[in-house]
Amino acid sequence: MRHPNQATLALHAGGDLGPFRRWMTARHLAHCTPCREEIAGFEEMRELLPELAALPDISWNRMAAEIKANIRLGLEAGECVRAAEMPIRRSASVSGWRTAVAFSSIVLLVGGCMVLEHPSPMVVHAAGTTVQSTGYGIQVQTGDERMLGLMNGGAQKVTYTLDAQGSMGARYIDPETGSVTINTVYAQ
Amino acid sequence: MLGLLVAATLLAQDAPLSNNSVSINLPTDSPVALLGISTGSSRTTARGAALVLDLNLSLTLRNIGANRIHGVTLRVVSQEVALGGVGSVFQPGLNVGPGEAFPVHITTKLMRPAQMAGGPLLQVNLDGVLFQDLSFYGPDKLHSRRIMTASEMESQRDRLALKHLLEQGGSPALRAGILKIMARREALPQIQGRIVSGHAMTNAAVAAVTPERQEQFAFVQFPDGPIQLVRGSALIAGSEARTPSIEVRNLTAQAVKYVELGWVLTDSNGRAYMAGSLASTDPAFALPAGGSFKVSQEKTLDFSTNKEQLSIRKLTGFVNQVEFADGKVWVPNRQNIDGNPLLLQVLEPSAEEERLANLYVTKGLPALVEELKKY
Repeated sequence: MRHPNQATLALHAGGDLGPFRRWMTARHLAHCTPCREEIAGFEEMRELLPELAALPDISWNRMAAEIKANIRLGLEAGECVRAAEMPIRRSASVSGWRTAVAFSSIVLLVGGCMVLEHPSPMVVHAAGTTVQSTGYGIQVQTGDERMLGLMNGGAQKVTYTLDAQGSMGARYIDPETGSVTINTVYAQ
Repeated sequence: MLGLLVAATLLAQDAPLSNNSVSINLPTDSPVALLGISTGSSRTTARGAALVLDLNLSLTLRNIGANRIHGVTLRVVSQEVALGGVGSVFQPGLNVGPGEAFPVHITTKLMRPAQMAGGPLLQVNLDGVLFQDLSFYGPDKLHSRRIMTASEMESQRDRLALKHLLEQGGSPALRAGILKIMARREALPQIQGRIVSGHAMTNAAVAAVTPERQEQFAFVQFPDGPIQLVRGSALIAGSEARTPSIEVRNLTAQAVKYVELGWVLTDSNGRAYMAGSLASTDPAFALPAGGSFKVSQEKTLDFSTNKEQLSIRKLTGFVNQVEFADGKVWVPNRQNIDGNPLLLQVLEPSAEEERLANLYVTKGLPALVEELKKY
């Protein structure tokens, strides 16, 4: 069996492959445990680099104020130029077209300002210990460092339980032994 | 993208797990002995300054005591110093006679600094063994005695219910009972939870969109239960619930040393989910006969379903487990659960129900009947 190279697996993990190569890789992954584990590794590494996905800290209000100020400046400059212009004869159609463009630009800019004034909500969590389920099991993470993760051993149906004290359990039937197994990890 | 390509080169540093990386520690007077260990496909992978351990261990233990074993808990330790280095693997539903062997699988993934030197990378210690007569052996660092006893009582309760079906209605009734369990399992609403130590901070935008509010708990009271739920609340903001707190009263003449409360979330669409448990882990917890105490936790829990944040609208609490001062454990009976549509909707089948349903699926009804006869 010919395995995809690591760059292909990395691109697949990031969802960056084209449709055909994605289909080919997914087909291979369905039958190849080592490559699936490789993909899982890439996905975890991707999670380890949260700064890639983080938005820069932008002062939206200040940016909006600057844009508004620029709009006002542009309008005032336009008025100055218009006052100095020699009166010329203009057709009604040309005048309407210019007005429409100017009006549309203003609407776009004002709309942009309104959007910037109301950024989408963002939750910032305190850096601390986090216990959560992943596609493969449960794990404890402190900051960017993973401490311990108990995997579900390829089980199909897993029941997760949360304890407000800070532990998480995963219950599943061990596919090899048929026994019930309960994995628990603790945040403290 | 760049990070993934960099990762591709780092992932090349891969090696099989050496034998001395794992230490299995059983006390000298342990009722179980290690017959064998297989590291299987376990391996270590260097990722920059970190070392990732993919462990796929298969232990074979033998009951060398005189009692039948009904449960075993192993303590899995990557490091004891910092938070998050300890986990446990619990196998309930065992029925291992003296001299018999049984397997335990431990599949774990660790990440630790590569330069950390000395000692095994993973230690597996015996934390507890529960016997058929509910007697216990072990250091019990993870409260395995209570956890395994409660699980065993649930197992006895649910086996009895199925045996009753078999006696009353024969194989068709047993089959119908098992199918009902499987249907319950399939219909369980899926919820994903995350525990964050300390307080989650919401910025001004979140505060404006989802202001935090104090939500009162509604309660399911069991008529024959030893504990009454008096009042309780949690702080709710969107999908987050934090600092849940419930006042409980002991209705019995015995002192209680542990109470575990289950809590159910209802979202804005009226769908209910089993959120988790709230346990009396406060060292000062004491509930004498007739006494009251407030059970609370300082954690933040964040919930989502199908990758979408849950909008929490209502909280419902119920008593899930009680341990008395003499070590006896109370769990809800079948009438408590079957008589309440909300609990029936959100509670997953017990470990024993799941094991027996799996036996029915994999080996058929005759094997299930034989299994029930063993108890």
